[in-house]
Amino acid sequence: MVTLRINGQPHEAAEPGRNLLSFIRYEAGLTGTKYGCGEGLCGACTVLVDGQALRSCTTTVGAVAGGDITTIEGLATDGALHPVQQAFVDESAMQCGYCIPGFIMTSVALLARDAHPGSAQIREALALNMCRCGTYQRILRAVEQAAQRTGGEGS
Amino acid sequence: MSSDTAAALREPGLHVVGQVAMGFPLPRQSYANAAYGNTKPDTVSARWLTVRPDGTVVAYAGKVEYGQGIRTGLAIEVADELRVPLASVEVVLADTDLVPWDMGTFGSQSTARVGVQLRKAAATARQALIEMAADRLDLPAGELIASGGRVAPRSDASRAVPYADLIAGRSIAHDVDDAIALTAAADFTVMGRHHLRVDAVARVTGAAIYTQDIAPEGMLFAAVLRPPSRGAQLASVDLSVAERMPGVALTVSDGDLVAVLADTDERATRAAAVVQAQWSERTDHPSHLDLPVLLLSSGHDPFVTQEAGALDEGFRAAEGVLEATYFLPYVSNAPMEPRAAVARWEGERVTVWAGTQRPFGIRTELAQALGIDETQIRIIVPEVGGAFGSKSPYPIAIEAARLAKLAGRPVRVAYDRADEMTYATFRPAALITIKSGFRADGTIVAWQSDGYHAGDRPFLGRRGSETPYETPHVRVTTYTSDSPLPSGSYRSLGGAANHFAREVHIDELAALLKIDPVEMRLRNLANPRFRRVLERAAEAHGWGGGKGQGVAIGVDVGSYAATCVQLDVQGAEARVERVTVALDCGLVVNPDGVRNQAEGSIVQGMGTALYEAMDFHGGRVLNAGFTRYRVPRSNDAPAIETVLCGDDTTPSTGAGEPAIVPIAAAIANAVYDRTGQRIRELPLQRQLR
Repeated sequence: MVTLRINGQPHEAAEPGRNLLSFIRYEAGLTGTKYGCGEGLCGACTVLVDGQALRSCTTTVGAVAGGDITTIEGLATDGALHPVQQAFVDESAMQCGYCIPGFIMTSVALLARDAHPGSAQIREALALNMCRCGTYQRILRAVEQAAQRTGGEGS
Repeated sequence: MSSDTAAALREPGLHVVGQVAMGFPLPRQSYANAAYGNTKPDTVSARWLTVRPDGTVVAYAGKVEYGQGIRTGLAIEVADELRVPLASVEVVLADTDLVPWDMGTFGSQSTARVGVQLRKAAATARQALIEMAADRLDLPAGELIASGGRVAPRSDASRAVPYADLIAGRSIAHDVDDAIALTAAADFTVMGRHHLRVDAVARVTGAAIYTQDIAPEGMLFAAVLRPPSRGAQLASVDLSVAERMPGVALTVSDGDLVAVLADTDERATRAAAVVQAQWSERTDHPSHLDLPVLLLSSGHDPFVTQEAGALDEGFRAAEGVLEATYFLPYVSNAPMEPRAAVARWEGERVTVWAGTQRPFGIRTELAQALGIDETQIRIIVPEVGGAFGSKSPYPIAIEAARLAKLAGRPVRVAYDRADEMTYATFRPAALITIKSGFRADGTIVAWQSDGYHAGDRPFLGRRGSETPYETPHVRVTTYTSDSPLPSGSYRSLGGAANHFAREVHIDELAALLKIDPVEMRLRNLANPRFRRVLERAAEAHGWGGGKGQGVAIGVDVGSYAATCVQLDVQGAEARVERVTVALDCGLVVNPDGVRNQAEGSIVQGMGTALYEAMDFHGGRVLNAGFTRYRVPRSNDAPAIETVLCGDDTTPSTGAGEPAIVPIAAAIANAVYDRTGQRIRELPLQRQLR
């Protein structure tokens, strides 16, 4: 039996070998985290584990036992969007939206470790996330905007 | 009128009803009849729009939202014509129980056709509300004006009556007034302005539900046995080990459908892995290396898409002749969301959630496959995680319905990434030869183009094959060639291939004659819309400075585009730094939506230009996955500027596809400008020396 917290709620998984993405989506019912490739290459399944961005599709629940997991559903607080979410809305940084939760989680992790990333750092951090609709220019702009908004607060 | 529509019209509210087959003139391109002429002559009326008793509005359309932003665009059009805030318009899409019949979401028709129909419906509702207010206020309708969801005398805003009060809980129905005057562009208050997407918050919070996310109570996950190579026949199968695997609820061997159904996706996949199957495989499959010869040698059914003058006369009059061959491989649509389908039976009726571009077409196919009536089937299209043409075929909807019937429980069938890129259709491979005759001043006098496009649907290859350059002697022919992979729809179909060949060829002529590539094109272009996009793109880009610039133009779905590229080449890696596109798609309803589509087209087209090609051998796709199929990523993305230059008085035409048609040639031409290497075959990074 493995215990983990997802968005602050405790969850128990019977099998340590259970795929984390599958567990999040179908046991915890949090479907905002997406399956894109199953190989850790596209980033659609990115979640935060103790604040670090992690590909859930290539991770087992056992590997994150006891961990504190945040999914896209856990970012907004009291109905207010996280600054990164708000920036994606403001820049219309999306088309089909399927990859967007992964981009947002990766960006949140980036801004948590570097409040003032340059555009080169942002590109580098997001290089392993794919958007097949090709909205990269908007995504990069959104993350820059979020960095400007939150950077001053030191968050 | 169908009984469903009759029932809908009994609900309280002001309903607007119209024909399902819309009598709009088809685009005049030669491919139009082939591509769009098969609109089902369905004369049933359907409800297009309802003003609810509370004054909010719901619009219905059979189109599918797969990222192109039509939910936002259609809401903008309805809000403007009905004089209500954007936030009070809901758009219901692609639920076959609720929306008017629709052929499918392709060919950039949502704004051009359904948008116009919804504007007419909204204008009809507005006029009806004004007339209701005229009765109420005892004033002539001409003295009243609708604004902010109310109708008021022009002279006395204090007597405004909200729409809700006018409807007063009644059920009222009106027919769409086909002749109604639509709001002129100068009077737009919502259209043409900047808006955020109406679905943005759902997309950033995980609340947007895609087919992959649908999980009705009691649902089983199916793993379906699929052939290891194209055309392989199942000789024998043994499910006895699989059915004893943990979590397996049921195994199915029903004719061509063999599947394992389990309580989790992982357990279904694990159990499927131990199914013992013997296959009889074909051994005569060509490989991607055979393609150029195969396309040329198997071409049949020549179809002349453009003819003028006499070619031999043209080549006699020419001062020079250039002949060259261009090749494009198959590419994968590779949408981020692999296809999935979930089916649930309730008695004799089945609901199937499927992220398809053709909900009504899939309903028909399902009825035929299951031997039931279409009225027993409801197809619901949730959010769709990208498509670009590849989600028209949707065989797993039928698999899910069959398995759910057998299991007596809801069943989900989902492709994984490799499935999505294997059991798919691909942008048709093409080989195109062009022979042109020219004069030293850059005038083109003869143009002979022969295009060999893979696939059995000839209209794919015809699209965009006509030369837009003023040429007295022309013959453009397209051929249908054998297709070792299933060819299918991909943003602009054959338009991208035809434009690549033609626009690289023009660049070759310009280089040969030492004429600037923009000037070369202008010398041969008369169409004012073409000239304008080219001039605007060149101006905005700062054309002419520095090595590594390329230009190309194109027309698709009635819209005009010109693209300038700045790039650098280091070894075998070409880096596109900056792209400027000028786009004329007529009246623009949602400028940011159009820009977003143009940017997406450019990034996607850049992938096909630089990296993308399907490799296959022995009936197997060799690179079905992102390890071996490279697509553009954040650090590949160029800076893109979109210049909108259509007239408000020109009807809206498609915006989702035109920007993809010139980009590959513009990139190849920029590589020539940068390195002197002429690229006639894609993907070009395999060619760089």
